[in-house]
Amino acid sequence: MIQTSGNSMTTLTQDALVEQLSAIVGADKVRTDADSLETFGKDWTKIYPPKPSAIVFPKTTQQVADIVKFANAQNVALVPSGGRTGLSAGAVAANGEVVVAFDYMNQISDFNATDRTVKCGAGVITEQLQTFAEEHDLFYPVDFASAGSSQIGGNISTNAGGIKVIRWGMTRDWVAGMTVVTGEGEILELNKDLMKNNTGYDMRQLFIGGEGTLGFVTEATMRLTRTPKNLTVLVLGIPELDDVMKVLSQFQSTMDLTAFEFFSDKAMQKVLARGDVPAPFETSTDFYALIEFEAVTDADMDQAMVQFEKCMEEGWVVDGVISQSETQAANLWRLREDISETISEWTPYKNDISVVVSKVPPFLRDIDEIVTREYPDFEIIWFGHIGDGNLHLNILKPDDLAKEEFFERCGKVSTWVFEIVEKYQGSVSAEHGVGMTKKPYLEYTRSAAEIAYMRAVKKVFDPNNIMNPGKLIDA
Amino acid sequence: MKVLVAVKRVIDYNVKVRVKADNSDVDLTNVKMAMNPFCEIAVEEAVRLKEKGIASEIVVVSIGPKVAQEQIRTALALGADRGILIETEEKLEPLTVAKLLKGVVEKEQPQIVLMGKQTIDSDNNQTGQMLGALTGMPQGTFASEVAVDGDKVNVTREIDGGLRTVALNLPAIVTTDLRLNEPRYASLPNIMKAKRKPLDTTTPADLGVEVKSTLSLVKVTPPAERSAGIKVDSVATLVDKLKNDAKVL
Repeated sequence: MIQTSGNSMTTLTQDALVEQLSAIVGADKVRTDADSLETFGKDWTKIYPPKPSAIVFPKTTQQVADIVKFANAQNVALVPSGGRTGLSAGAVAANGEVVVAFDYMNQISDFNATDRTVKCGAGVITEQLQTFAEEHDLFYPVDFASAGSSQIGGNISTNAGGIKVIRWGMTRDWVAGMTVVTGEGEILELNKDLMKNNTGYDMRQLFIGGEGTLGFVTEATMRLTRTPKNLTVLVLGIPELDDVMKVLSQFQSTMDLTAFEFFSDKAMQKVLARGDVPAPFETSTDFYALIEFEAVTDADMDQAMVQFEKCMEEGWVVDGVISQSETQAANLWRLREDISETISEWTPYKNDISVVVSKVPPFLRDIDEIVTREYPDFEIIWFGHIGDGNLHLNILKPDDLAKEEFFERCGKVSTWVFEIVEKYQGSVSAEHGVGMTKKPYLEYTRSAAEIAYMRAVKKVFDPNNIMNPGKLIDA
Repeated sequence: MKVLVAVKRVIDYNVKVRVKADNSDVDLTNVKMAMNPFCEIAVEEAVRLKEKGIASEIVVVSIGPKVAQEQIRTALALGADRGILIETEEKLEPLTVAKLLKGVVEKEQPQIVLMGKQTIDSDNNQTGQMLGALTGMPQGTFASEVAVDGDKVNVTREIDGGLRTVALNLPAIVTTDLRLNEPRYASLPNIMKAKRKPLDTTTPADLGVEVKSTLSLVKVTPPAERSAGIKVDSVATLVDKLKNDAKVL
């Protein structure tokens, strides 16, 4: 028998639920075994125990629409599921919801070399799209550590960012058009892949980053771009946190960077301890910057050397390396990209905050002061896409502290952190989304009036609060 | 002690190699080139010998087009003292390379010649051995450990089923295997210093070697694509497939 609680208010028995879902997608595309419920009921957050009532795998947009209509009729809450790599519990089903998993909608089609676009089912894996682009001498630039698992539908619903935002922007900038199923089961074809289309409200933008609360993305036409040439990576040792941004502006004064990342020595030591990537250099500094740029001509390389020398003269940088091959570039990137996965072992409490780039230095100082004062006994791991104003602040759980107590203590200090975010007019969630973990803090970034309008918009597209209820905002 | 290190500019290990549409060769247009990974290991070993106070000078040599200077500069940034480029646009075969290197060995009189066991572009694994034959120097190939001991060098070689250590009288040739060391990155301050290190250019003619290929490349084709696997629904079907389709049982 189905255990309903929280948001899923259906009176259907589980057998009836499975039978009706099977009528839509076929019996082999509905799963209720314990393994599937556990796997598809959660994302990378390890806070909420998964408890979905069934997992359904539609293969077409029409099937998704039918599922949504059925859910409305029977008052069944739905949770969308992509690669489940989210860090804000946006794809967690902890209240007996039905999970709609897009794994079988993974077709890439309609590649158009002139428009440089390609159509992707919501379940296409990011890396699959990246590889497809590469095979056609093009490039899909949105990239992040979980690209091997995350899906396009999830990327769009969370407006995924990552490591190349400074040069190529967020997922939002690459969606030419998309098909969504609204909370009422309507199928909308948005923007028709047009470059120019000033015909009123661009409803794409509501669904991008909407975390599946208004509707589910089922298909999207993604833009591709030219392949960057000879991406070259520098890793620089920077003793003072304050100087990281000075290094950024020094390099940006004459160069277009494709990435500017920073990480603390503590973060790097965790990655190095795994023993599969070498240290960049022997000199140890408290912070490191990873800079990536296109070295098309010798002049580009010379510019990088000139800026490096300048940073050395100023004393901001004390050592550095530059990749001499793609293998080295990839290994240097791993120093930064492996951090998240490496520290997941310590059940980190994650903050993903941002401010405009010019405010980063004083913002960093204020945050640093708070965490050093409030978390003296916790290990703090700093890293982030600092070139676009985005910081990841991770607090590691000490072994001897229970998970509940740890998160409770972190939650308290989060309020302090978010007050600083508010003071600098920043965001409490730069790229991870709101989901459940950041929902209580939305007001630090969004005004009461804005949140009221968000609720009103939710009501328009999802009047029965079927779509991913309890995430982002309370209906 | 003087150490000579040979390095080659090859297609970057990380690049997915593509074949030209007309099957005439590998497509090198806009492809990232880098130092052959085994050569990187040879350079690293030479630098370590210098850091230990065993080597006094490291000379790095490369054979190829003018752009191969980039790889020599990398070796200089890693710690080599000076570079020699034998400039040629011709396709090179191991025997020609060995003859050219012999010319450099005669001129420079190194005590140890360090080189990769093979390059990842043509995978011949012949040049070190041929250089040994041409110069009469002893050779220690597939090195996983190099220990200089007076006028000898002990080279631990990776062989089938274990390790074999050979003691070579100096001067000697050592070709490197993957486990010899882990090469360092070129540091930016050292790259700047490397710009001022001497890099001489010479030609095969200067060394009295005629570069002429005796091989002609007929056709290059990519490996056959693997077809996707299938799922079977029972052990019985699996056994049946293994017996009748795969014919491995």
